[in-house]
Amino acid sequence: MYKYIIRRILIFIPMLLALTIIVFALAQAAPGDPFTGQILDPNIDPEVYELRREELGLNDPVPVQYFNWLTSILSGDLGQSIYYNGRSVLDLISQRFPNTMYLGVFALAITLMISIPIGIYSARKPYSALDYGATGFGFLGLAIPNFFFGLIAIYIFSINFGWFPSQGTITSNNLTGITALIDRLHHLVLPGITLGLAGTATYMRYMRSEVLDVLGSDYIRTAKAKGMTSNSVLYKHTLRNALIPIVTLMGFEFGALVSGAVITEQVFNFPGLGTLFLQSVMNQDYPVIMSMCLLFGVFILVGNLLADIFYCIVDPRIRYD
Amino acid sequence: MKKFLLMLLLLLSFSVVLVACGDDADDATNDQEPATDEGEAEDPSSGEPVEGGSITGAMHSAPTGLFNPIFYTETYENNILSITHESLVSQNNDLEFIPSLASDWQTNDDQTTITFTLEEGVTWHDGEPFTANDVVYTYSALADPDYVAAGGVRTVYVENLLGYEEYNAGETDEFEGVTADDDYTVTFHFAEPNVNPLYYSSFPIIPEHVFADIPVADIPSHTASLDPGEVIGTGPFAFTDMVEREQYNLTRHEDYWQGTPYLEEITWRIVDQSVMTGLLETGEIDFIADPEGVAAADYETVSGFGNVTIIEQPDFGYQLMGFKLHHRTSSDVEDGVIDPDNWEENEKLADPLVRQAIAQAINRPGFVEGLLYGRGDVINSPIAPQFWAYSDDVNQNEYDPAAAEALLDEAGYVDVTDDGFREDPNGEEWILNLDYPVGNELRERSAPIIAENLEEIGIQVNLRQPKEFTAYAEELENDNTDWDLYLIGWSLSSSDPDPSSLWGTRSAYNYSRWNNPESDELMQDALSAPDAFEQDYRADVYAEWQQLYTEDLPAVILYAQNKLYAHNDRFHGVDPLPYRFTNKTHLWWVSE
Repeated sequence: MYKYIIRRILIFIPMLLALTIIVFALAQAAPGDPFTGQILDPNIDPEVYELRREELGLNDPVPVQYFNWLTSILSGDLGQSIYYNGRSVLDLISQRFPNTMYLGVFALAITLMISIPIGIYSARKPYSALDYGATGFGFLGLAIPNFFFGLIAIYIFSINFGWFPSQGTITSNNLTGITALIDRLHHLVLPGITLGLAGTATYMRYMRSEVLDVLGSDYIRTAKAKGMTSNSVLYKHTLRNALIPIVTLMGFEFGALVSGAVITEQVFNFPGLGTLFLQSVMNQDYPVIMSMCLLFGVFILVGNLLADIFYCIVDPRIRYD
Repeated sequence: MKKFLLMLLLLLSFSVVLVACGDDADDATNDQEPATDEGEAEDPSSGEPVEGGSITGAMHSAPTGLFNPIFYTETYENNILSITHESLVSQNNDLEFIPSLASDWQTNDDQTTITFTLEEGVTWHDGEPFTANDVVYTYSALADPDYVAAGGVRTVYVENLLGYEEYNAGETDEFEGVTADDDYTVTFHFAEPNVNPLYYSSFPIIPEHVFADIPVADIPSHTASLDPGEVIGTGPFAFTDMVEREQYNLTRHEDYWQGTPYLEEITWRIVDQSVMTGLLETGEIDFIADPEGVAAADYETVSGFGNVTIIEQPDFGYQLMGFKLHHRTSSDVEDGVIDPDNWEENEKLADPLVRQAIAQAINRPGFVEGLLYGRGDVINSPIAPQFWAYSDDVNQNEYDPAAAEALLDEAGYVDVTDDGFREDPNGEEWILNLDYPVGNELRERSAPIIAENLEEIGIQVNLRQPKEFTAYAEELENDNTDWDLYLIGWSLSSSDPDPSSLWGTRSAYNYSRWNNPESDELMQDALSAPDAFEQDYRADVYAEWQQLYTEDLPAVILYAQNKLYAHNDRFHGVDPLPYRFTNKTHLWWVSE
């Protein structure tokens, strides 16, 4: 097992290196640079931007730029943002990271809390009215675009009823302790539900088909034949086996969690990594784009590794040597 | 069959849910209507200013976080800095320079120096007194050898000052350009006689006692440029707190030299554009101002709120369709050289009659009505209409397709092949390429209409796929291509009408690559001492230049959009400048 984990981690290195090359090449292939979009202020002499390009090494040959960047990354320095006036990339990312984490975890919790019980129920009573209803609503959730759902939610629950705040993550810096926590949760509700509902359908469908599958298998029939109650069959034997695909999904989710939810973040002005990434791409802020791609890469790889490890735990049949 | 019925039932129930949502939306607007009328009955401007209270403004994008006037680059920072910092002189509604931190000034005869008498008793937010040394420091920082490398872009304010080059090259430690005569007198020395010295002395002042010991290269990353509470200015409000990217809090400066502000606090909140008007309606935000304001399409909705007043004024800027009159050679593009001697003329657009015909074929009033909902104007001259220098006594190029066709016939562009499109005077195929960027929705929508307008008078247009803005800007600049027509928008300076940075032959922003010696000469005349010391003289020269511009026509100005500010009726004392909402913020107050 440990050998396996170490081997997996060692494979990360060439994968991440390949990722940096691809990301860098793509960023370079995109037309323009951080200053091209800024030219349109007639009060500023364009020569100033040329000097800045020279200063930042944007006029150097591409391989030179790549190796400069790689060496500083390897020494632990993620570099400075250009759009954010030389602020350190690490600073920018760590500022947004908590928001993204809160939102992601909250949304995932909502997804799981809704989809797993409904999925199980649908499987136990397949083709019932509730099964159809759940499936229908699940797909509706999948089909409604996030921003639209978000806007409707804001319109109804924030503007109309005034129950929840519609923008931001906290009312004021002056809040401390438990009031601050409650305020943050209050701000999380609408974006969390918006993001969480979108994922519900997928999990629900997986849960339903998996439970249905397991319920039909031989060992469940054996368990039932031994005289176990249907509840204990469900919780002791069925769920554990049915959770395998959910674990796989959550492995991917771990990566998606950090990459943020651009649209939801935008509509609710919930400043997370998603909007930071989008903004950096729009402004061709290479240092931020590349560091973030690297970060996303690491998280997706780690997420998959964690999923593989969890397989062992939920399913004793799976062993790595 | 049973399944089918079930599915049908499900579908029906969903549509009921959707309809129900729609009803909710309608109810909400109706609920607000009665309140509307009551609100209008009261006169919002009546009553004495009340002390205390706070207001909240909304902007739809967050500042990047650099709160230093000499280094910031985004307009969002300016919403805050225009309240926290002040300059020696500011501008009034007629765009004339008026006293601010300087109470008086005197120029010498050839306008090579200007001496300011400063207000006494002005204090910085941290209680230190404001003196002439702060002014000297600010301008020395702009001229510093490390300024540009550290990310500064505002060198235009110091380049004309005496001794700039020596100081900037690091040859001397003394900057001769700005000197303190005593604590409250400061003199600007220009290398050449200067037509508009007040413009160059209108830069916001930063405190010497805070920055003196910080190397200029480190200023952008220093807490005094970044952190609330440490950003120090002389303005009526100090930047005291923020939840970064969410809200920015300004607290009043009790010792403000023009009197303690009425409001205790001004908060800027970052709000997504799609919910901004909704929050204005509920009163969660009190005003929507720069840089975007309210969208023209939302004008009717917002004016229906009843508790909200809309202020409409022309913006400093316009959208245009340019003609690529020349292209640069590939080697010049490679070397970044702008040398009119090497330019290659674009034969397709070389005839001014053709350009006028194109201008007259475009339904510009239609753009103002259709795209801007009437919230804008057709203008012809590339000088902002708010300026004394603006002249409307120019070639109007009014929308007249018949006249446009006659012009093309006169120029020899007729359809000889009977394919419905005109050929050039040599009978060759004549196709104009039209390029445009994405990003500005109105501009995007105008491109296909322009193509249609031109095809109506028989001009064959190749409407290209729109490009992402950065890619577009790069090709616009590196113009060794086959571009003929391009769309772009400009925002203009509100300090001086000089158009040479956009239309001077050698200017990088002259994307039409317009080469007209007469135009260059006029623009230079308007800035030449001593004649140009008289504003009337400059106005005459600019009038002549604008006439020339509309005849030679390097670009058709499509429309100038109005800026729409909106504010809650409990918010009083609003007195926006022609170019900015925030003005005299110490006189802002709220009722209730």
